[in-house]
Amino acid sequence: MDARQGADAMARDTMVELHGVRKTFGTNEVLHGIDLTVSRGEHVVLFGPSGSGKSTVLRSINLLEVPTSGSVKFKGVEYGPGIEGTPKPQRGSALDLRRSIGMVFQQFNLFPHLTALHNIVLPLRSVRKLSRKDAEEKAAESLRDVGLLKWAGSFPAQMSGGQQQRVAIARALSLDPEVMLFDEPTSALDPELVGEVLAVMRRLAVGGMTMVVVTHELGFAREVGDHNVFMEEGLVVETGGKSFFDECSHPRTRAFMGSVL
Amino acid sequence: MFASPDPSIYGVGAVKSLSVSAVTYDWGLVWENRDLFWWGTVLALQVSIVALILSLSFGLVLALGRMGRKPVTFFAAAYINIFRGIPALVSVIWVYFGWSLLTGYNFTPFQAGVIALTLLYSAFFAEIFRSALMALPPGQSEAGLALGMSRPKVFFFIKLPQATKIALPNIGNMYIGMVKDTSVFTVIGLVEIVRVTQNINSITFQPFVLFTTAAIIYVFLAFGLDFIFRTLEKVLSTPTKGLIALTITSRRTARINSLIHSKEVALPVSSEKN
Ligand SMILES: Nc1ncnc2c1ncn2[C@@H]1O[C@H](COP(=O)(O)OP(=O)(O)O)[C@@H](O)[C@H]1O
Ligand SMILES: [Mg+2]
Repeated sequence: MDARQGADAMARDTMVELHGVRKTFGTNEVLHGIDLTVSRGEHVVLFGPSGSGKSTVLRSINLLEVPTSGSVKFKGVEYGPGIEGTPKPQRGSALDLRRSIGMVFQQFNLFPHLTALHNIVLPLRSVRKLSRKDAEEKAAESLRDVGLLKWAGSFPAQMSGGQQQRVAIARALSLDPEVMLFDEPTSALDPELVGEVLAVMRRLAVGGMTMVVVTHELGFAREVGDHNVFMEEGLVVETGGKSFFDECSHPRTRAFMGSVL
Repeated sequence: MFASPDPSIYGVGAVKSLSVSAVTYDWGLVWENRDLFWWGTVLALQVSIVALILSLSFGLVLALGRMGRKPVTFFAAAYINIFRGIPALVSVIWVYFGWSLLTGYNFTPFQAGVIALTLLYSAFFAEIFRSALMALPPGQSEAGLALGMSRPKVFFFIKLPQATKIALPNIGNMYIGMVKDTSVFTVIGLVEIVRVTQNINSITFQPFVLFTTAAIIYVFLAFGLDFIFRTLEKVLSTPTKGLIALTITSRRTARINSLIHSKEVALPVSSEKN
């Protein structure tokens, strides 16, 4: 049984695999058993109403939230508490997991006491253990990739929201992650700044990055989403492929689509 | 309307009566004893600086304990509530005289002063650090953890620098208080500013002149320290503000600018705009 699952995973080149993920805050269960599989190069889009548990799912993937129960696998290695009743699985450390997975937040979360450049230099030095010179070179190149090389010496407070989010993306990418998680990366932005961030994400998607994106930008989702997941109240309601937005049939999904468009 | 006042009211007569009733004020004494005042000031600063470094370190540990798990947070809270209530005078007598009776070990006045201040002020610094650390948005540590940084690294490179910036004005105020509190160490014979003043006074009987001088020294120290802490705040402010702060950070700026230049040259325009 286990061996066959492993073989299947190999065949599809599975990167992330959530199985039966439940999460309880206090006495309130907010995820009631989530299954999600992300293959290499795949672009998964999560959407659904506010409070439905999208962020919690995303944060379970890199263990910012540790599931109460359920399996969180990355490249076949178990990082979660596992499924009840199964023998204790092989466990990797959260630190190792996070070194392969990048994350971009709704509020950017740049470090305000550091310049744009040093926001990227810090993790390169402390996680990748690069020398100061190598880290600075690499950080500058990452900024150049998102069109912000000239802003290297600026502090987050001196930059627009769109620029800050592009620095945050550059920071995550500089560590060469295998999967990128985006939690509503454009929701905190003024409408005219959304485009520049989506452009960077689009380029990343075209380049073959494995991505899991929570977004209300249905246009973007329609364009890049290979696997679309609609969630409500801690459950996956409906999923689908490229044609999901035209073919989804569940009344809750259709109602939500209507409210967002 | 602008008639000159009657000289008998406060003119010659007033001066005369003053000179009869009052002793002479020998301000020359201050200059003659300038090196005593100088070394008293230096000693007060030395004791307070050593105590500042120790109480900041211990205060930070206490703050972490206070924010930690059950038994630890209880002991940290107890320490903070006890020691911030003790006056410096009581603390130093307890350390200098009490401790030697209890253990037979004698601290020097310098050591006793440092310990007394550290015991008290670490309690204050713990509260200052705790509120600064709690003011940081949780997204800051989450971003660090998501990048794969370990918890100690997140603390030292992300949380502590930001908390220090928030705490700095309060630390500055506390430090001015510490310098003033060194004045009570005269009771254990530490030759700080007040002890120097008392020593000179016991020979010259010029309390007004001498204690005015002591007061002026403390006020000047407060001004100077306030200036230093304000400059530090500007160095830590982002973007950097003020001439001194900009000078201090100019090397970082130059380094980044040359890096920008080298990378621009290496790959012109193509991926510049997207
Ligand atoms: N740290 C937390 N403590 C308590 N409740 C939480 C916490 N994080 C999320 N929740 C709750 O979990 C539910 C799902 O939240 P979230 O995953 O943020 O939803 P979404 O991202 O879809 O808006 C919400 O009801 C929210 O209030
Ligand atoms: Mg959310």
